[in-house]
Amino acid sequence: MTSKPKVCVAIEPDLIAAATGEAPPPAAERVHGHVAACAPCREDFARYRAIEGTVGQLRSTPPPAADAEAARARLMARLGDLRSRMVAYGVFPSPLGPILIGRTEHGVSMVEYLDRDDAGASRKLTQAGGDTRHASAELEPFHRELLEFLAGRRTRLDWPLDMRFARSDFERAVLEATAAVPYGAVSSYTGIAGDIGHPGAVRAVAQALRHNPVPIVVPCHRIVGLHGDLVGYAGNRTSLKERLLTLEGVPTDATRIARAAMYHYDPNPDRQYCVPTCGDIGRRRLGTVRLFASRELAEATGLSPCLDCRPDLHPLHV
Amino acid sequence: MDGAAFEGYVTTHHGEIFRYLRRLSSRPAEADDLSQETFLRAYRAWAALAPDANVRAWLFAIATNVFRNHLRSERRRRTAHDTVRATRREVDFDGPEGEAMAGEIRTLTEAAIRQLPMKQRLAFTLRKLHELEYDAIGQSLDCSPDTARAHVFQALKKIRTTLNGHVPLVETSR
Repeated sequence: MTSKPKVCVAIEPDLIAAATGEAPPPAAERVHGHVAACAPCREDFARYRAIEGTVGQLRSTPPPAADAEAARARLMARLGDLRSRMVAYGVFPSPLGPILIGRTEHGVSMVEYLDRDDAGASRKLTQAGGDTRHASAELEPFHRELLEFLAGRRTRLDWPLDMRFARSDFERAVLEATAAVPYGAVSSYTGIAGDIGHPGAVRAVAQALRHNPVPIVVPCHRIVGLHGDLVGYAGNRTSLKERLLTLEGVPTDATRIARAAMYHYDPNPDRQYCVPTCGDIGRRRLGTVRLFASRELAEATGLSPCLDCRPDLHPLHV
Repeated sequence: MDGAAFEGYVTTHHGEIFRYLRRLSSRPAEADDLSQETFLRAYRAWAALAPDANVRAWLFAIATNVFRNHLRSERRRRTAHDTVRATRREVDFDGPEGEAMAGEIRTLTEAAIRQLPMKQRLAFTLRKLHELEYDAIGQSLDCSPDTARAHVFQALKKIRTTLNGHVPLVETSR
């Protein structure tokens, strides 16, 4: 086998480039000068040109259009499904520690207290599988409102919520009833069970709130035990529950609501609220009784002062 | 970047990404699966993409990765099932679809492309069949543009050797 002359070896890259339309003009000129005088390289050049021609045909031969169209239709359907499930999330600092906020295109679907400033610490994201994407900038407006809420400059978080993450209709009903407990008010698990028409399902209500996908926004911190105990919040973080209630003006003594310092409302036809010393209302269990941190908050929900105990004339000195 | 914008890119690029994967894979159904995987992956990473990114090059890079991963798992499966491999070869080179679609030379050229070492095959397909720039090919193959160019030239040399005598010469006059 005879080896190629050095000059042919040296020009080969340019020859391939020129034959396949990739050489800059000076290199192409050199190649054309060389192949005019070198028969083997002329043949090589012709072969590469032929390959380029065939490849050009392959380039312009599309696969059957029906295949591509059907594939695109299937893709669009899957993307639509993924889009509706995809959780965009961010991890943000807050006075209560790092907090994860996540949303789908339907609304906010996750709020979670984290042990560290890292989405890897999130159980809720893990449960969402791979369909999550980090998008702090997108979630920043929610973070801002949350900070305003935690600083006491805002009393409502009117966020669109995606309640599809509730695991059952029962759980959804519990979350909706809890969301209806206003700022500065306190209800009990028994009270919520009554509100949703399942007065016996107190434990199930507590379980449902344990899985509250959006704490703070759905204010499960406003739901306490039958005796006003600050039980069950974000695992064992009852101190967070106390902080949130204190923020809303609800008096506590670390483990329990200080009922004596709160206005009481037990549903009555005249929708009147009382001071805790009105009859036996202050001693009744928090079944149907709802508590308010202030007269203003009670009256903001449409209640009026009791005409017997006259909280308007004898307000509590909190 | 929002989801609606992403769907605009699907409309623009799905066709060519599907064609790319169709060229690399042996069956239409495989290309369908791989193109879906490509765009679903892209959607998940969409928010992190820089606003001035070359979306086309990015999608080709994802498609290339998806194909290479698929190939790796296919290879593992083939090792376990030699008989399957024999069947697949038949499908690759003698399938009625391929015969009907192209003339003899094109079929031979396609076969020569399929026989290339993987990086050369990918670089060649991206450059010659999808006309990507070398820096975009480098992005897909995780190498420099010069290395990508070298892969394409090596591929051309191999194809030329494989097709020696099968492809009629083209006149050299410009």
